[in-house]
Amino acid sequence: MDDFACPRCRTTKFQNPSLKMMVNVCGHGLCESCVDLLFLKGSGSCPDCKIPLRRNNFRVQLFEDASVEKEVDIRKRVLRDFNKKEEDFATLKEYNDYLEEIESIVYNLSNNIDIINTNKKIEQYKKDNREQIQKNKNRLGREEYEIEEILEMEKQVNEARKQAILMEESEAKKKRIQRKEALLDELMFSNTNAKNIVQTFAQQAKEEKEEELKKPPTKITKFSSGIQFGRKSQTTFLPVPTDDGPTYEYTPIVVIPNGPQPPLDEDVGTKGFMNHIRLETDQERAGGFKTNIACLRALQEAMMGLYHTKKNM
Amino acid sequence: MFPTSSQCKYWMFSSEEELDSLRVNANNKHIETHGKNINPATKYDIFLNPEEERLMVKRFEGHLKDFCKRFQPPMPRCVTGTAFHYFKRFYIKNSVMNYHPKEIMVTCIYLACKVEEFNVSILQFVANIKGDREKAADIILNNELLLMEQLNFQLAIHNPFRPVEGLLIDIKTRGSLHDPERLRVGTEQFLERVLLTDALLLYAPSQVALAAVLHAASKLQENLDSYVTEILFGRDGSDKLAHLIDAVRAIRSMEKTVDIAADKNLMKTLDKKLEKCRNPENNPDSDIYKKKMQALLDDEDDLYNAISAQNQEKDDSALRMSLPNSPEVA
Repeated sequence: MDDFACPRCRTTKFQNPSLKMMVNVCGHGLCESCVDLLFLKGSGSCPDCKIPLRRNNFRVQLFEDASVEKEVDIRKRVLRDFNKKEEDFATLKEYNDYLEEIESIVYNLSNNIDIINTNKKIEQYKKDNREQIQKNKNRLGREEYEIEEILEMEKQVNEARKQAILMEESEAKKKRIQRKEALLDELMFSNTNAKNIVQTFAQQAKEEKEEELKKPPTKITKFSSGIQFGRKSQTTFLPVPTDDGPTYEYTPIVVIPNGPQPPLDEDVGTKGFMNHIRLETDQERAGGFKTNIACLRALQEAMMGLYHTKKNM
Repeated sequence: MFPTSSQCKYWMFSSEEELDSLRVNANNKHIETHGKNINPATKYDIFLNPEEERLMVKRFEGHLKDFCKRFQPPMPRCVTGTAFHYFKRFYIKNSVMNYHPKEIMVTCIYLACKVEEFNVSILQFVANIKGDREKAADIILNNELLLMEQLNFQLAIHNPFRPVEGLLIDIKTRGSLHDPERLRVGTEQFLERVLLTDALLLYAPSQVALAAVLHAASKLQENLDSYVTEILFGRDGSDKLAHLIDAVRAIRSMEKTVDIAADKNLMKTLDKKLEKCRNPENNPDSDIYKKKMQALLDDEDDLYNAISAQNQEKDDSALRMSLPNSPEVA
């Protein structure tokens, strides 16, 4: 790697340890300062192959061989569209054929074989499978999201653990200082034998240490934000609020018909009113509609208000 | 339930006289506010008198009926009924000269479509209107709230159509009439015509429905009297029977008056007179109206400017920024 140089300015890693090689879709490398220089306007052509390039397509070169870099780039682009999974195929053979096809496309593109036809093939595939591609993209997005969530969770756990250790340490330090001071005080003001005092304090310190060791490390069960781990498996609900007020008492509605008493609900079925109306269809019944309700309503509306008058009011 | 409805409580009147006096009131009030410097003796030379207003309303009720009939997609009858209620209610309290019936009419129908759950969009609705549709949509939407306000937001209407169904079911079940389905045609014709009368404001929908059924029966030379006296009112309503007979008779005689055709020449002169005396503030073609709308818009702009200026000031003082020329906030 050390004797590797920028093909344009010949700067090597040895001359400039912070040399960063960049690569674009064509697969020819350039160092960062040359990119800055040549692509000042945002676009320009590759000094090797004269292909028009855009500045924001330059990436840091990860592999020594720039053609590998190019292939990786092409593969990434092709796989964005050819994103079917094994589950999407009926047989293993079909899946393998599909993978084979992808490989040949990638190979063709990265070695400049029959580029026009290959690109046409990709376009055709895109057109034919637009829905499937979109669906798989979404699925991929979801998976990525889940992974991110897991990573986040782990980060939180680590943070919490670090925090706890720090706390413990400072606590212990404080305790040590306290004990030391207490010992000095005792030695200063007590009348007992200094040797005895030192011994009792040593004894105490030893006991405390043992106790600490016995105490099992507390398990962290929630994030610093207060959310429990693994919230997917357990969902906690807020407690149901209890209402202490007086309970509602139902009083039936009294309807003054202001007309002759319409037939009652039970009469509608038994006294033959239903013979003169269309029965509800199954679809209507599924929605909760029953014709006896409509019938009763029509009858009620026919009777109600027949005595109505504003004259003697 | 009609007896507990706002329709029964607030929009039922005792007699035609009461309705007339209310309309005269509306007419007087309009003339008082808009014709202060006009000699009371000659006021009707300029303004419409209550009788002329009545004629205008009647004519537009006819238009309303035709409009609903021709409406595409065809609308259910209850929409028409409800629109009639709104239209009548509106002109009990308001003068024709203040709000043109042409505009209120379409607004009533539009509102009725909504209330009766007959789903049409404003675009679909104005497709039924001849002339400038965009303007029509504007007028309707501008007037809609006004209309609701004038109706005191009491929008639920009990129409006589369901009671008719109930009566027919009851006659089929308990009555002795042969093939009551024959009554339907006559009943529907009657109901269509009764909408044009004031009966809607005086009698309960069930009474109107009963009158319609009885009318249809008498046209077929059938007699339903025994059904009414014995089955409907037999058990505990015999003392109310006399009143009901009066009501039915009154409704039927009102229905008969519908046919008196209006004089076309008179209508033309009335139209011209109205065009001269209508309140320009509510006339979308007038300059005053346009100015008013513009002023409303400007007001909003001013308000917005004031608020944003205030906010700007607060921001500046909070951030201790004292820019000498802070950029104008649009």
